[in-house]
Amino acid sequence: MMRALRALLPLALLALASCAPMVMVAPGPAAVRDDFSVTVDSIWNRLTYPGIVFMAPGASEIWTAEGIPLDVLAFYIGVREGDALGRVLERGGKPLASYRAGMTPHEIVELYEQLVTQDGSAFTLGRLAPHRFGGADGFRFEYALTRKHDGLALSGVAYGAVIGKRLTLMAFTAPRMYYFAKYLPRVEAMAGTAQIKY
Amino acid sequence: MNGLSRALCGLAISLALALPAFAQGSRADGFTRLPPGAKVMLMPPDVELYAISAGGIPEPREDWTRAALQHIKELYRERKAKAKVEVVELPDDGDETIEELKRLHGAVTRAIALHQSGQFALPSKRGKLDWSLGPDVGVLRQKTAADYALFLHIRDSYATPERMLAVVVGALFRTIVMPGGRQEIAASLVDLKTGQVLWFHRLQRATGDLREREPARETLDSLLYDAETSQ
Amino acid sequence: MPPRFAHPDPASDEGGWWSQMDREEQRLRASGFLIRDKALNEMVSGIACRLAGAHCPDLRVYLVRTPLFNAMMAPNGMMQIWSGLLLRMTNEAQLAAVIGHEMGHYLERHSIDRIRSAKTATAVGHYLGLALGAVRSSNAGHFANAADIALIAGFLSYGRDQEREADRIGLNLMTQAGYAPLEASRVWEQMLEEVRADPMEGEDFWRASILFATHPPARERRETLAELAGSAGGRTGEAEYRAALAAQRPAFVSDELKRRKFLQTRVLFERLLKAVPDDGEIQYALGEAFRMRDGVGDAQSALDAYRKAQAMRGSPPELYRSMGLLERQRGQHAEARASFARYLELKPGASDAELVRRYMASE
Repeated sequence: MMRALRALLPLALLALASCAPMVMVAPGPAAVRDDFSVTVDSIWNRLTYPGIVFMAPGASEIWTAEGIPLDVLAFYIGVREGDALGRVLERGGKPLASYRAGMTPHEIVELYEQLVTQDGSAFTLGRLAPHRFGGADGFRFEYALTRKHDGLALSGVAYGAVIGKRLTLMAFTAPRMYYFAKYLPRVEAMAGTAQIKY
Repeated sequence: MNGLSRALCGLAISLALALPAFAQGSRADGFTRLPPGAKVMLMPPDVELYAISAGGIPEPREDWTRAALQHIKELYRERKAKAKVEVVELPDDGDETIEELKRLHGAVTRAIALHQSGQFALPSKRGKLDWSLGPDVGVLRQKTAADYALFLHIRDSYATPERMLAVVVGALFRTIVMPGGRQEIAASLVDLKTGQVLWFHRLQRATGDLREREPARETLDSLLYDAETSQ
Repeated sequence: MPPRFAHPDPASDEGGWWSQMDREEQRLRASGFLIRDKALNEMVSGIACRLAGAHCPDLRVYLVRTPLFNAMMAPNGMMQIWSGLLLRMTNEAQLAAVIGHEMGHYLERHSIDRIRSAKTATAVGHYLGLALGAVRSSNAGHFANAADIALIAGFLSYGRDQEREADRIGLNLMTQAGYAPLEASRVWEQMLEEVRADPMEGEDFWRASILFATHPPARERRETLAELAGSAGGRTGEAEYRAALAAQRPAFVSDELKRRKFLQTRVLFERLLKAVPDDGEIQYALGEAFRMRDGVGDAQSALDAYRKAQAMRGSPPELYRSMGLLERQRGQHAEARASFARYLELKPGASDAELVRRYMASE
């Protein structure tokens, strides 16, 4: 097997040349996708291969300030009626409940909770309140997560809005100790500039 | 990125991480070495030695782990004594803040290992070692009167090659990469006044044996070389 | 009862296993999933201590927040009980039955025998590293991987003789401590009922529960237990059990719902309601199970369940919020407004009050 791996190495290096997993997000307006943008006041890092992040399975985009094992800013953009918010963590895992147009924020929070607790992490909802987001009357909620695999306590804040029956959610999760408070103001400011364009 | 190049990218990344030997060492801006007379606190090392069977399940080997722990502690003290640096140990009293700090440190270590350089380097870090545990490290300072703390993470296992590739991508963001059959050691020195990680050294290789004294010395030397006293 | 066990020579193989279990225990003490509730811990430790008699000083009981039915005791005296099991017991006697059974294995050193007789180091590692390390982070990822458990179950299953012995000892310990021994067979009866609720989910449950997988509840065992118990009376301790569990139960119930194994959950909740018909918290939770499953006809079943809960003791204010959500979904806006209003009345400081007021205003 090791020999096979070594043989593949040249091919790998070739492929590597065109892989740039982490890309800078410079201060200023940033298009997250064609139909969603935020204005950023400091440098963030964008992961161009979001599929491998197990903390936000199926997110449209993943950003991080200091690294995926620490903080994750996940965007779920334009989720359609009948689709799950994200994706199942492990193949053959229990299917996720689908988003329904007309769902209340309470029910959307339940979707989010189901998504991020697939690995056995424990989720506790904090404050849930109305909040302008993306140019619409949306909602904002706070939460705590105890991450299963290392037992680290995480804090989170998420913003969501439904426009034209499609749901967009932006969720920031970081260690409760030091990191969450460090980045919360930047995340709040960013959320305030969000524009949903579909 | 279309489906094929995504797949290739994923594969390439996993292979890159499976490369046989890797040493990563870095220092925060402005830090060169521990001053003589410094007091370093040795955090209870997080050590685990495993054998990985064909079934893919790592079996902790208690005897190996205990031996490794002992060698490391003794060897570290020897090194520091030579450099006139005092080593104190933290009483393990189950303090909740300290437990949380240990967990946070684990995550910071994984972030540094993944993102400081290499494929997943964070552009925002500009290649520098710039991570912190935050001001909660003050509790460590209070308990030991130390100025610095050394954290050690060691995962050492012996695995079949079949196991290797299967775990790499899946484990990518969950833990220090553990394809198996290798040593994965990370050491970091933290400034207890600020929480800043002053230096970080990581060793990932297929050789090395922590279960015996002299090979363990070699491992520690490789890990800590150039870190403090250019030894 | 055998005399207390001495700490084995650290150089011996048993000594090695012991020190590994000690380290597992250290990790467990620092775990974010450990339940620290004083009343609950005191009740469980109290039962364990009473059963253990002279061995009491060697016992350390840990309660772990995991919504699976599991209890285990390591040869170094460490006992783990998971919250899924605590939720499923209806009285002290049932918990005593489980603890007594595990203690039977401990007193007869069955696990030491199993470890010793294991042909390879592989098996030893499995038992020690995985069976005991359920809550710790492991390089293999989180614990409840079906393949892992099948492996452990295969390895860890005690022989039938050992099971019989543990059952017998457990019953003796229970009875000596004054508990009604008939409750022991009830525990397994209840588990079977839950598993039978859905053959598919049952497979999963079996596999996800170490205790269940390693202690196949053969009908014969239930019957033997019932026979051995005979007509002996004794304490059941329902009230004491419920009182000690009260503070943590809402969290355990919530964890149970989040498993999304609704057929089993329904069987569990209906059983708890049969034992205590006036339990508003569980009746509400039953409604939640329907609402969350959201299958055909579930919204109506949920509403029916909530309405029943209204008159019951201890039903939480969230009951009205859930009713409001469903009524709103069905276009019953006047009813929804009334339900939301009642929620806000009962919980004026609710952290989602503003949002709920928006729901009321929006129609």
